[in-house]
Amino acid sequence: MLLAAMARTQPAAPTLPPGYVGSETCAGCHADLAKAFANSQHHPVDGDAKRGWQGRACESCHGPGQKHAESANPALIRNPANLAAAAADKICLSCHLNQPTQIGRLESSHAHNQISCTACHKVHEAGQPLVVRKADATNKLCASCHLNEWAQFQRPFHHKLPEGDMTCVDCHNPHGSIRPVMLQSFAANEPGCFKCHGDKRGPFTFEHAPVRFEGCQACHEPHGSANARMLTRANVRFVCLECHANLPSVPMKVAGVVPPSFHDLNLPLFQNCTVCHQKIHGSHVDRNLLK
Amino acid sequence: MKALLIFLMGLPLLGQQPPATTTDSPPPAPSTEPALTGWIDLGYRWGTGVGGSFDTYRSIINLGSGPKFLGTDFTLTDPKHKWFDTIQVRADSWGDEPSSSVHVEAKKSGVYDFNADYRDFAYFNFLPSYADPLVGTGVVLDEQSFDTRRKIAALSLDIRPGHWWTPYFGWDHDSSGGTGATVFVSDGNDYPVPNTLNDSTELYRGGVRFEMPRFHVTLEEGGTTFKSAQSLYQNPQGSLNYGNVSAPILGQTLDLTNLLAAYGIGGSSIYTKSLLTANPTTWLDIYGQFLFSQPDSHVNYQQTDAGNLYLQSQVLFYSSEQELIAASSQQPHTSGSLGAEIRPLKHVRIVESWLTDRLHNAGSSASTDTLMQSGTSIPLSSLLATTLASNYSQEAIDIFYDATSKLTLHGGYRYVWGDASYAFLPPEGLASSDQEQLRQNIGVGAATFRPSQKISVTGNVEAASSSGVYFRTSLYNYQKVRAQLHYQPLQSLSVSADFTLLNNQNPLAGTNYDYHAAQESLSFYWSPHGKIFDIQGTYSRSDLKSNISYLEPETLTPQLSTYRDNAHTGSALFDLAWPHGKRFAPKLAAGGSFFISSGSQPTSYFQPTAKLWVPLGKHVNWFSEWQYYGYGEAFLLYQGFRTHLVTTGVRFTR
Repeated sequence: MLLAAMARTQPAAPTLPPGYVGSETCAGCHADLAKAFANSQHHPVDGDAKRGWQGRACESCHGPGQKHAESANPALIRNPANLAAAAADKICLSCHLNQPTQIGRLESSHAHNQISCTACHKVHEAGQPLVVRKADATNKLCASCHLNEWAQFQRPFHHKLPEGDMTCVDCHNPHGSIRPVMLQSFAANEPGCFKCHGDKRGPFTFEHAPVRFEGCQACHEPHGSANARMLTRANVRFVCLECHANLPSVPMKVAGVVPPSFHDLNLPLFQNCTVCHQKIHGSHVDRNLLK
Repeated sequence: MKALLIFLMGLPLLGQQPPATTTDSPPPAPSTEPALTGWIDLGYRWGTGVGGSFDTYRSIINLGSGPKFLGTDFTLTDPKHKWFDTIQVRADSWGDEPSSSVHVEAKKSGVYDFNADYRDFAYFNFLPSYADPLVGTGVVLDEQSFDTRRKIAALSLDIRPGHWWTPYFGWDHDSSGGTGATVFVSDGNDYPVPNTLNDSTELYRGGVRFEMPRFHVTLEEGGTTFKSAQSLYQNPQGSLNYGNVSAPILGQTLDLTNLLAAYGIGGSSIYTKSLLTANPTTWLDIYGQFLFSQPDSHVNYQQTDAGNLYLQSQVLFYSSEQELIAASSQQPHTSGSLGAEIRPLKHVRIVESWLTDRLHNAGSSASTDTLMQSGTSIPLSSLLATTLASNYSQEAIDIFYDATSKLTLHGGYRYVWGDASYAFLPPEGLASSDQEQLRQNIGVGAATFRPSQKISVTGNVEAASSSGVYFRTSLYNYQKVRAQLHYQPLQSLSVSADFTLLNNQNPLAGTNYDYHAAQESLSFYWSPHGKIFDIQGTYSRSDLKSNISYLEPETLTPQLSTYRDNAHTGSALFDLAWPHGKRFAPKLAAGGSFFISSGSQPTSYFQPTAKLWVPLGKHVNWFSEWQYYGYGEAFLLYQGFRTHLVTTGVRFTR
């Protein structure tokens, strides 16, 4: 009777489905991973009955481990690192698909180029978030693949990423976005640039069409440039005149009319268009963007 | 003798270490007090002075001398989990620095997740302009210059994170204020004047996420408020400002003696965000989102100016002017996307997606302008209405085939279409309305090959043909190529390569746009002796050629705008830990970056650096850092600068 009473006070061990061995068995050989996992953000999976993987969190990603545990054969366990990216992602998405972070996945170039979740997220990392959060570490992670983009930040005029004041994810959403080049959004569907550059947001009574239709990168190199203000051209007049070159009398398929003839490009006054057209991002009060 | 023998036999027993723990003594109980771990850096920076252009230095680097709170990073953990599990705080660069930040994360599992972020950027921009209209008078002035600070803050709070429904709230703030130089544009002349700038945007949002096994829905409502005040003034009032045009007009020299112009701008917006993901069956995932925002703005502009001024359209000289403008605009903006990933076969995925973005801007402006000449007032007024609209859509289908677990092939097609228009009413001037169309057919091909965990190769090509675009410099008939390689031949060595190419041609008569940009980078990381030293380096070469025809405004003569940029960029970092120092081993890090370009804007920019760490105790490190900045432009030598900076400080760790 005493034994029966003691048995009733023991917590009921979760019943393992066929083929599963439970996390404790995994820890028998993979003690280092188990220790790290115990302090990771994924550890609640092992203790939460609601998630359906109580006591077998390892097998939630690696699959049933009985054959592997019996044989110690690495070929008999699922290792996401050896899978094609889509197959590895499918494991992650079995829990994380129905979350707002995945909303832009179909438009994401990461998904299109088979960059799996684990390329950035560390599943077993102890005491750390699943992905690095500090600015330097975030930029280093992105730059480890995007070498060309990081090189552009070494140019003199750049957003302050090398200084650690900004991160790539300030502007880009690595999970994908409804905007081009996975740009972040501001206030639902406006370009993420306006999160910091609110004075350029408008709406303006007199809009400058390229700002709305093609975004800031129509005139700026956002990663970095040898040109002041990260402009695409060394001389401001060419940024403008390369578009503003249509004769007003000839119907054209593209926007941009040549400036009136008093613009004598030999004079310094007319070489830097934004000296006068200072409200180049849009004006509330002047159709020629002069004030 | 027997006693000596017993003593000698017992010596090995005395040499044995006592057991670390015994089963009799229980392990020490874990602390229940909050634990603080982290570090804080305090220091001082000296500068050797700036050789060359101090204004350019401030526009690019802007680091100053003085005592600095260089940074901190600490975590507070509560074993009792009473009010929080952890609080993490990170801060960087405080003490009259060009940028400062602080970030706080506090969380309690299943109860709340709180984030706060604050950044303060100094924005100084005063570059001696290549096109300084006053350079002939000996004045060096960038007539669009700024000395402002931008402050950005964000707070977010998720309640019940990890539960099936999670309410969340957020607030974002962005403001800027300071002074600068700008131009007061008057008919006939332009007058550089000082101005003050001030703007702020607040964003408030709240929503709820429903996360279920088969679907997820997020509903969010938000809004913004905006205000901006810019004032232009003549300083001092009454002084003569001859402006950028010194040549007399009809025998009279134009000048400005008094000016006060003020923008009072306000705005607001509301927005809605609805997101959906679902996996109704094992072979189908669905994604959809609907986004709507409606920002508006309203402006009261007041301007009074005096001097000898000129109105070209009426060949009229006048002595003072008073102008009032009231304007407003509204911009409903609707976006949405819908897509599905279908997996009809084990190794095949089909992704079909549709996206639309529709923006319609409507504005109006009413102005009254009164000119005074010899006691006579001349009233002018105007009423303008404007519209700008863009309807953008794209439909895409992508097919992914996992040929093997090591090789994935991807082919896709995207059709992009849209129309854009703008109009001014009543029509006035050269271009009062216009309409453009966007039509693009885009093909995509890609392959990812990963024969082992140590090597992966990705390549993708995108080629497009267009029958309509919005602007002359838009992507028209283009080809994009990207290839990336990662290879880790040894545990201690990894190599990466990156190649990008963009060709874009618009052959339409009068445009003849030919653009070519290529960039290739190679990077390595070598850590041969683990903790003793490691070295990493990256070299990048880029090549940009752009030719496009344009019209010289004065003569309408076709000209060719050419732009060239051939650049070499490199960066390296070498880390060395003194091998014999054990716990108090000094560490040295040295490296930096260079950028050298030729072409339309030949530029050199060097940033070498070295940093030495010397542990002074278990919890104290001394460090000293040297930085050099050297910048030069071949065509604008006066914009170059060079400077040395030395920072020394102490890190306290716990």
